[in-house]
Amino acid sequence: MNLTELLDRSADRWPQKPALIEGGNTVSYDGLVQQVADISLLLQTLEVPPGCRVGLCLPNSINYVAVTFALWKINAGVVPMPTEYTEAELSSVAETLRLGAMISHKPRAGSQPLLGNLFFTRLTPAAPPDNHGLNIAFIRFTSGTTNASKGVVLTHETIRDRVAASNQSLGITAADTVMWCLPMSHHFLVTIVLYLGVGATIVLARHVLARPFLEAVSQSKGTVLYAAPFHYALLARDNSDAKISSVRLAVSTTCALPPDVAEDFFKRFGVPLTQALGLIELGLPCVNVDDPAGRWDSVGRPQPDYQIRIRNPDRDGCGEVVISGPGFFDAYDSPWTPREKLMPDGWFVTGDLGRLDEKGFLFLVGRKTAVINLAGRKIFPDEIEAVMNRHPAVRESRVHGEAHPHLGEVVAAEVVLHHAVAPEVLRDFCRARLGPDKVPASIHFVNAIAKTAVTGKIRRPAAVAA
Amino acid sequence: MIAQTQIQTELLEFLRAGIFSEQVAVAEDTDLVANGFDSLSLVALLQFIEKKYGLWLPESEINEATLKNIRTVAAVIVRLLHERPPAP
Repeated sequence: MNLTELLDRSADRWPQKPALIEGGNTVSYDGLVQQVADISLLLQTLEVPPGCRVGLCLPNSINYVAVTFALWKINAGVVPMPTEYTEAELSSVAETLRLGAMISHKPRAGSQPLLGNLFFTRLTPAAPPDNHGLNIAFIRFTSGTTNASKGVVLTHETIRDRVAASNQSLGITAADTVMWCLPMSHHFLVTIVLYLGVGATIVLARHVLARPFLEAVSQSKGTVLYAAPFHYALLARDNSDAKISSVRLAVSTTCALPPDVAEDFFKRFGVPLTQALGLIELGLPCVNVDDPAGRWDSVGRPQPDYQIRIRNPDRDGCGEVVISGPGFFDAYDSPWTPREKLMPDGWFVTGDLGRLDEKGFLFLVGRKTAVINLAGRKIFPDEIEAVMNRHPAVRESRVHGEAHPHLGEVVAAEVVLHHAVAPEVLRDFCRARLGPDKVPASIHFVNAIAKTAVTGKIRRPAAVAA
Repeated sequence: MIAQTQIQTELLEFLRAGIFSEQVAVAEDTDLVANGFDSLSLVALLQFIEKKYGLWLPESEINEATLKNIRTVAAVIVRLLHERPPAP
C-alpha cells in the first residue's frame, strides 16, 4: 500500500476540484498529482533509493504537500524538520535518524536546486538506516522525553488506518473547505493527508492575524477550522463584524482550551470550539463533536474504533488515560523498539491524566509527560537541557513547561550554577543554538534539582493543563 | 517611563538576533509580515515583550496595524505602559 493511492483516488473522482489554495495560487487534484509525479521523477534521477529517510524543511506551502507525496511515491520516508530548527538541530536530527537526504526551502552547504525554491542536499549517514522490513512513510523526531528513543515510526498502512478511523467523527468530505494555519511540520497526517484523501479543499492561511484570516474564511467559504487556542484567542478578539457562518466545525487542538477563549469565541462567532486529543503515536482518538457547546472543556468521546480507559483512578475517577485502537505507531527508532514491546496488552499509556464522565466524555486534567506545548508546537525539555548544560557556568539544568494564559505553556528552566552568570547570557547562549520557541522564557537559579531515587534521572513535575 | 526610541532599539536587536535571517536587513520601518514574520515569530515577539516590559499584548492589539513595523509595535507598547495603572 502507498499513501499516494489516497491522493490518486481523489484525483480520479474530483480531477478539477481545488486541492490546495495558497494565496493567489490554486492547485487542482489533477494538478497536484502531476506535481507529485514531476518531483518524484526528479528524485529518482537523483537516485534517492527506496527506504531512504529524507528530511523535509519547508514552510507551509503547496510544495510541502507535493514533496511529501513525491517522497512517498518513491517509497522514501519523510522526516519533518520544522523551519525554526537551527543548523545544530537539523544536524542532530539528520545524524540520529540517519537521513540520506534533505529537501529545504533555502540552499544549504552542498545542496543543488531541485525545482523552483526547493533545494536537495545529499547526506551520508554513518551507517544506513535499518527499517526492519517496514514500509516506512513517516518518522516524527521527538527528543525522547518519554523514553530513550528519538523517532516515532509510521508505515503507509498505519497512516491509512488512522486517517480512516480519525474521520469517523470529524466527517470531513469533498464538500469541506479546511482553513489551515498550523505548521505542517508539526501537523500533517490526520489533517492534510485526511483532507486530501476525501477530496476536501485546503486553504493555507497566509497569516494568523484575525482580519486577514477572517477575510480568507469568508472568501473561500471555509467550513472547517483546525487551529490551536492561541489562534482562536486572536480571532475571538476581532472587533469587526466579520462572520464565519460557513464554518460547521472549529477544532481546537495541541493544548487545553482556556475557558475565556472558548467563551469569547462562541460569543463572537456563535460557533462552539471542539476540542480534540491528538498524539503522534496514536492519531486522533478523541474529538468532541457530540457536545462542544455544553462540554467545551472535554476532548470528547472516543471515536468509534477507539477505546479509552482510566487506569489507577483516584476517588474522583481521575487517573492515567490509556487508549487502544487502529493505526497506532509501528515502532520507536534509535534505538529501535517495536510497538508490541511497548504496549504488549494493546493499550497505549498516553501520559495524560483524566476522567470519563457518565456519558463517556473524556476530560483531561493534567499531563504526566514533559512535552511542552507552546501555541501549537511541541517542545522537548531534554533537548534544551542538553544545550544549557554545555554552558561553562551551568552544572545542571531542568526544563519544564510553565502554564501561560495565552500560549498554553512556555519554556521554563531551573539551573544549578558552577559560577555566577546573568540569565540573559544563558538565554543568548540558547538562542544561538536553538529555535526561538525553545529559548527559556524564565530561568530560575536553584541550589539543587530533584532526582528520582532509582534512576538518578531528573524528576519532572506533573504539568497541569492551563 | 521608557522612551519609544529605546523600545524600538531593543525590539530591533531582538528581531535581528532571534527572528530574521541575515538576508533580511531589518530596520525600524521594515514591513514585518512582508518579510516573513510568521506565527512562530509572533509568539516569540509576544514572549519577548512580556519578559522585557512586563506586558502581554492583549489579543485586541495583535493585528496588522500593530505589527506593521517595529515603530508601530513600540508605539503600542508605550501606549499600554502609559495606560497601565501604577503598581500599588
